[in-house]
Amino acid sequence: MARDTGGPRNVTAVAEGIETIRDLIEDSAKSSTALRIAGRSHWIDAGRPVDAARIASLVTHTGVVDYVPGDLTITVRAGTTLKEIDEITRAEGQWLPVDPFGARDGTIGATIATGSSGPLASSFGRMRDLVLGVEFITGHGKVVRGGGRVVKNVAGFDLVRLITGSWGTLGVITEATLRLYSLPSDTVTLALGASDSVTALQQRINSVLQSPGIPFAVELLDTALSEKIGIAGKQQILVKLGGNAAAVSAQRTAIGSLGGAREMDEGIWERIRLVESSFAQTPIVMRLSCLPQRVAETWNEARAIADSAAGAVMHATPSLGIIRCVLPGNTPLSLIERLAGLGSSPTVIFERLPHDAWQRLSPSVAGDRISQRVKNAFDPHGILNPGILGPIS
Amino acid sequence: MTASASDRPLIDKLEEIVTPRFVMQRESDLLVYNSDGLPGYRRMPRIAVFPGNRDEAVEVVRILAEHRIPFVPRGAGTGLSGGALADDVVLLGMHRLKRVISIDRDNLRAVVEPGVVNLHLNRTVAPLGLLYAPDPSSEAACTIGGNIAENAGGPHCLKYGVTLNHVLAMTVILPNGEIITLGNAEGEDPGYDLRGAFIGSEGCFGIALDITVKLTRKPAAVRTMLADFTSVDDAARVTSAIIASGIVPAALEFMDAPTIQVVESSVYAAGYPADAAAVLLIEVDGIAEGVDADRDKVRELCLAGGARNVKVAQNDAERARLWQGRKKAFGAMGRMAPHLVVQDAVIPRTRLAEVLGKIRQIADANHVVVCNVFHAGDGNLHPNIPYNADNPDEAERVHKSMGEIMRACVDAGGSITGEHGVGLDKIGYIELIFSPDSLDAMCKLREVFDPDRRANPGKVVPIHACQEWRATPAGRAT
Repeated sequence: MARDTGGPRNVTAVAEGIETIRDLIEDSAKSSTALRIAGRSHWIDAGRPVDAARIASLVTHTGVVDYVPGDLTITVRAGTTLKEIDEITRAEGQWLPVDPFGARDGTIGATIATGSSGPLASSFGRMRDLVLGVEFITGHGKVVRGGGRVVKNVAGFDLVRLITGSWGTLGVITEATLRLYSLPSDTVTLALGASDSVTALQQRINSVLQSPGIPFAVELLDTALSEKIGIAGKQQILVKLGGNAAAVSAQRTAIGSLGGAREMDEGIWERIRLVESSFAQTPIVMRLSCLPQRVAETWNEARAIADSAAGAVMHATPSLGIIRCVLPGNTPLSLIERLAGLGSSPTVIFERLPHDAWQRLSPSVAGDRISQRVKNAFDPHGILNPGILGPIS
Repeated sequence: MTASASDRPLIDKLEEIVTPRFVMQRESDLLVYNSDGLPGYRRMPRIAVFPGNRDEAVEVVRILAEHRIPFVPRGAGTGLSGGALADDVVLLGMHRLKRVISIDRDNLRAVVEPGVVNLHLNRTVAPLGLLYAPDPSSEAACTIGGNIAENAGGPHCLKYGVTLNHVLAMTVILPNGEIITLGNAEGEDPGYDLRGAFIGSEGCFGIALDITVKLTRKPAAVRTMLADFTSVDDAARVTSAIIASGIVPAALEFMDAPTIQVVESSVYAAGYPADAAAVLLIEVDGIAEGVDADRDKVRELCLAGGARNVKVAQNDAERARLWQGRKKAFGAMGRMAPHLVVQDAVIPRTRLAEVLGKIRQIADANHVVVCNVFHAGDGNLHPNIPYNADNPDEAERVHKSMGEIMRACVDAGGSITGEHGVGLDKIGYIELIFSPDSLDAMCKLREVFDPDRRANPGKVVPIHACQEWRATPAGRAT
């Protein structure tokens, strides 16, 4: 669903492959020419608009560098897609438990750069928890490595965490080593109807989260999203269980005892990931986050506002306190502002907004002095994805 | 060298802030601070200062900034990399800031001061059915602030992750006295992951004044097993087999014969079979039905891989005893010799048998005794060599062995440290795994937080690796 709404204009150079990317960065640094970093361009319309004359594309920089299944780690080039990683690891009975929203043919480089994760983050951690090592090229054109290829490592200062979620503004990620898990022998997905009242909803969420064993994922879906992906009825709590047969069976019994649980096909998770592609024009996507025990309250407040935007859908990862709202692209900004201003929601993150709305709603997430110093240290010429996190002084 | 007359104005100010009792300047007082968990390294601080609360800590850091004085933050001093040694500079001890500020049972969070002892936090939250997952072997003494500095791990990090994965937010004072918040205790944290960059920065980026940690619900069931082997290679191969099988044990620890023998002859005796070549201490946890299946599978893999016996702890007391031997193994080695070097390299888990074999060859060739006790599940080796540092010949052989072991681990695709940090001890090895450009990037990151490099000077990244320094007259002269 690559839409070229926020992409580079006046493109004059496209580079592919690590050597040409390094050359391109060095050349761009000399001439202070802005560069747009791109994988398969799925995220090109996310984040603040970037006005860049050139693209550094990782699209052909793909493939496995090293994979020893017994180590449960894999090192891949940044242009490798999540789908490719999934196929390669599944053949060995393993997987990378990362399920960001959007198509699986997005690249691992973009997933790390944007720090994206999905429902599985509630038990396996976010992207930052799964990256063991990275190689990236700084705005000076230096090839830098952080972390390593082993599962535990505190050598040197943590460039891996720094680069993960930095949206390409500190360096172009060229390679990454990731932590893998063995595929569970059993999985099952259950849907439970969830009440509309704040107290009953929060209790229902808590009883799922506190049931014996840790579910792989627990995701709250509003009625509109439930219908879109084929679950009849009102809003739902979707629970993915995984593990050995005995554990899954016991967990299933425990969740079943909460009442109203129905078994779903596993494909339902993929349908959630792809829900944005059903929107006629690029949707507005925002995340509200709060303490886990305030999810139901924030959810209901947000739903009351979002319900007036026809076609809006919402889902939440309650254990992480994250509520994600996907709204039609033509939703009035006043409604978005009301969502962003919810009293019970301390943090708002926008993924996608119309170009002209960024300045008004979220001018910067890197405006503090330390972030500015980090940016200047790694990209002193300000050429890497300039402005995507906000203005650089 | 300790404090001189020229330090008087600074000492006066520090005494004003924390009272004279908590400013130390005499050699006899400072002696206890001249080493950390690695007694082979000794560095005498010039002055030691111990603020008693947050306001005092802030004032002390600001006075040091005003006087442009280098300092070394220190928690309990249990670190195993010489990272908390202050070489003729100010040692800033944070262990008096030990309040558990709040516990939020429902949202699984606790806010603590940096001097809170790891085990104290766990004992505080245990009655609520909760735990704080990182559990370094020094948990009974080490502080959460120190855990953050080192990104501490522990046996149960195999399943639950290290400190990095359990810290949500911190209030931090930078070396220049500025106070900032990193991370977000109540939601997502957009922008750069500065919290992630700070954790594991070994006291070089600043000092955490308060920390919001994530708590974990205690697993419903735990099964702890001890598998004993007559061959080290078999134990190593079984470790790889368990990991490859898909089970994620809560912990998977390895002890070899010299370790078993010293533990069994100490007050920490845990009932390990004294004639075993190696034992694996394996723990699985989760929902009862699931852990029983995992326990059976682990036992099967152990027996098929050559284990002589697999003993399953029948109750909490037996479980605690099995763990005591492992957690106190380092202490027990004190029986063998006055000093101990501890390594912390990490290797890919499929290379365990091979690298342990190389370590054995290196030990034999250098006539030293290596006690291996380590987190096998994540390939985090701890080859320990007890020795007498006052015997120059022995010290030389020990250090030669350590260098060779480190190179063998790096050659196997490993890292020089998994949880103890680089500090002083491994600074000579960091260039084995990072290029000059990577080290320079780390220098730049340090300078973001501490442009003057006053916090914990001389640790982690050697000064000659920093480009800016290379460009100075001092750098050009070398």
